[in-house]
Formats: sequence, C-alpha cells, structure tokens
Amino acid sequence: MSVIAPQFKFSEFVKSLLDNAFWILFLMVLVGLPAVMMILFVIDLPVIDGELLTPFLAFTWLVDPTRTLPIIHALMATDFFRIAVFPGFGFAALLAAGTIFAERKMLAKMQLRVGPFYCGKIEGILQLMGDGLKLISKEIIIPAKADKPLFWAAPVLFVATAAAFVSLIPVAPGWVVADIDLGLLGVFAVIGFFPIITILSAWSANSKYPFIGGIRALFQMVSFEIPLILSLLGVVMLTGTLNLSEIVESQSAFPWIVFLPIGAIVFFITMLAELERIPFDLPEAESEIVAGWLTEFSGMMYGLVQLGTYLKLYAFAALFVVLFLGGWHGPMVVPPFPYEIITEGITMGPVTAQIPGLPLFTQEMLNGTFWFVLKTVAVIFFILLPRGVFPRIRVDMLLNLGWTKLIGLCFVNIFIALGLLYAGVLGPGGLQ
Amino acid sequence: MFGFAIVAMAPALVISRMLSPRKRSNPVKFLPMECGQVPSGEGRTHFMMQYYPYILMFVIFDVMAIFLYAWGSALLYLPKSATLPMIGFLGIMFGAMSFALYQSGRRRIW
Repeated sequence: MSVIAPQFKFSEFVKSLLDNAFWILFLMVLVGLPAVMMILFVIDLPVIDGELLTPFLAFTWLVDPTRTLPIIHALMATDFFRIAVFPGFGFAALLAAGTIFAERKMLAKMQLRVGPFYCGKIEGILQLMGDGLKLISKEIIIPAKADKPLFWAAPVLFVATAAAFVSLIPVAPGWVVADIDLGLLGVFAVIGFFPIITILSAWSANSKYPFIGGIRALFQMVSFEIPLILSLLGVVMLTGTLNLSEIVESQSAFPWIVFLPIGAIVFFITMLAELERIPFDLPEAESEIVAGWLTEFSGMMYGLVQLGTYLKLYAFAALFVVLFLGGWHGPMVVPPFPYEIITEGITMGPVTAQIPGLPLFTQEMLNGTFWFVLKTVAVIFFILLPRGVFPRIRVDMLLNLGWTKLIGLCFVNIFIALGLLYAGVLGPGGLQ
Repeated sequence: MFGFAIVAMAPALVISRMLSPRKRSNPVKFLPMECGQVPSGEGRTHFMMQYYPYILMFVIFDVMAIFLYAWGSALLYLPKSATLPMIGFLGIMFGAMSFALYQSGRRRIW
C-alpha cells in the first residue's frame, strides 16, 4: 500500500510553518513598515471636517461610531477603492468565483452528476476555497528548456490584462474605474492583447501541445476579432459616441437589442469564441491536445490563468449588458432611504443612535448595481449553457463561420442601423 | 487596474513557491508533457496550420473595421450625402473580402 507522503514528519511541518511566519514578520518589519511610511509621506491625505486625516487620527476615529462613516465615505471616493473593491477587481473576482461554482454545479446537473458535494456542508459550497488551497500548495513545475521569465510572467499578465478589461466597464451611474471617451476602442485594444499573451506563453513552454494550442488560439481570436468589431458598429452609429457610460445612458427607453438583434447575436457568438468556450474551445480541446496552451501550467500558475479566464468572462458578459441590454437601466426596485434615520436617528428601546454620514450609497447606485448584476448573471448563464449542450467544431468550420457567415451578418446589421437612422425611427427626431 | 492586478497577483505565485514542495530528484519530471512518453525532437517546431491566408486577411480587414468606427461615431453629425462614398468603400471592401476568401479556399496555391 502506498503512502501519500512517506517522509512526512510533524516536527518538520511545524518548523516550516514557524519558518514562514518568521520570514513574513521579518520582511514586514524591515520592508513593509518603511514602505507604508514612505507611501504616507508622498500621498495627499484627505481632509474631513476641517481636519487633516493622518493614519493615527484615522485609527482613533474608526472606533468612534459617529465618525466611522465619514471615513468610509472618504475611502470610497478614492481611486484605490474603485480599482480594488467595487467596480474593479474585488467585485469582478467575486462574480468570477460565483461563476466558477455555478458552472460546476449547473454542468453536473445537466449531465446527471452531482458536482461538488462534500467540501462544505451545504452542496459543496467551500469547493472553491479547497481548490484554491490545493493550487497554492502544489509544486510549480517548469519544463526544462522553457523560457523562464516569459513563462512566469504569462499568467500574471493574463490576469492583469483581464483586469484592465474589467476596469473599462461602467457598473452604475458614475461607478466606473476608467471613464474614457474612447472606451470601446480601449476595449478592442485590450482584447487584442489576449492572443499575444497566449502565443507567448505557448511558445515559451517549449512543448508541443501548448504550441499547437497557442497557434489555434491565435487563429481563433484573430479571425473572430473582425466580426466582434463590426458587430458593435451598429450601436456606435446609433449613439454617436464611443464612451461606454454614454452608450448606457442612450438606452434609457429601449435597449439596443430591440433594434439590432443580429448584431447582438453575432457579438454573443464571437464572445464565445474569444472566451474559448465550447463550441469554440479548440485552444484547450482536452480530448485532442492535452489541455491546449494550458498544458504546462501547474499549481498556482494554472489558478491564475483560470482566474483571468473568468474575469474575462465577466467582462465580456458585462460588455454585452452595457452595449445591448441597457446596462444599469431598469425599474426602480430599491426603496428610498428612510429620512427619519438621518434626522432623528435609530431608536432601539431607551437608546437613540445618531449616525451621521448615512446613507452610504445613493438609491440610484444600488438600483443600477442590482439591475446590472441581474442582467450580467443572466448573460453569464447563457454563456455557460452551451458547454453542456454542444460538441466542439473543427478548425476549418470555425474559420469559415467567422469569416463568411458572421462578417456577412455584421454588414446586414450595419445596413439595418443605417436604415433605422435614415428612416427617422432613431436618431435626431426619432424615438430617442 | 493593470498594475494593481500585477501587484496583487504576483504575490500569489511567490507564496505558492514558498509553501509548495520543491524536489529536484527526477529529471524526467521536468520534461515537457507528452502523456508519459519521453519527447523526441524540438518543442518549438515548424507546424503547418494551413490557414495562413486568414492571418493575412486579418491584417487588412482589422484596419478597415477600425476605420469604420471613425465614420460610425461621427455619423449623426454628418450630412446624409456623406454616406454614399462610405457605402462605396464598404462595397469595395466587401468585394475584396469575397475575392480573398475565394482565394483562401483554393488550398493548392498556398
């Protein structure tokens, strides 16, 4: 009978834990704290209630309940909060993690399996955490003769590019990380980086299966980029702007999917191809070429690539919502904030608590986020669905589909948009 | 956000490297994955994909698609007569694309 770890010694295990703790503390004291001090020396500290908020004062105020909320308000106004937490990385990573779990459960149900079940008492809800722990504690094997710097950099670059894509998505009115005038062109520019990273990582691995997978990914992404770009032209023609927030604003009455259904369908199909999902998962075809361009990634590198893939999935679904489904627009379902709490405070028995700084979020922002998340989840569901339904298609079928049928449909879409504009249905003097 | 993701995600690799075991006992372990076989030949070979014309077409028509955005974003502010030359451009490009697709279907010349 084989033993899982024959040379395992508890004392060695404890020693390694203590070693790691020591080095973390050591580096914290020698590098971390001076770095924090230097950063505090450089950045501008916010002024709240006429007082300069030093870190010392901030910690003092945090324990004072009447002053906590203004500090949180000041924090939420910073760029760092937007990048790291709400419309940016944290929000997207949360939705991506939910997507992974929902995908595994849903696919299992469609194939009459159970799916993740044991990890966590309720329906395997802690499976993702277990997977993360497994991936982070596995050995990273780099094949001999690989181009090491590129091979190490590729997963991180993949996640970072996906995050750059996420940063362009407006979630609620005013809640967007990078609100640039040429937002849609920015999206195309970011999408163009994915095949480059894929082919670089595939080339650097010095192995045959990743190489074939990388070339397939290059072909697929490159040939579906043109239908992707052309299918969104109709929306730009009707709105006359490339700013994603303004495109959402223009859909307050009708979402564009009502007028441009062909563009929406073509964009959805190209989205599946850019995300390398079934039926277009040729780059990772696990029954032909082991795992495609992911073959040589092991441990946390594979985990990072997966995270990047699902961030990209969220970003594409959100882009579909922003362009065709009306973004954050929807009926107001969030009740208004009760103003008695602001004027009179919360009364609980004999105690009345006055809480300045409320409400933390406006009604519009909560409502917008609710509708945006609802629509995004619906689109993500339709992206996940084909994986349980369709088989994989061949390379020549894929290229034929992308280059003849989808581009033809894109031109039809452009002429529909022109016709709507010149017939006076939309545009100046029309419905919107 | 690009920089934030790098700063936030690179430590994951570093921590993984610190936590995970590293055994350099077996040189076979570091060979490229070929389902248990010892691989023969180079990893970065010349691999014929047979669909090279599509890449050539991409170089041209991607630029065309981006040019169309310059027209599409300004369409609401242009006079209607300015659309006719654009239709002509689209027609020329459509013809060129169909000719290129016809040529790419003839595999013998590649």
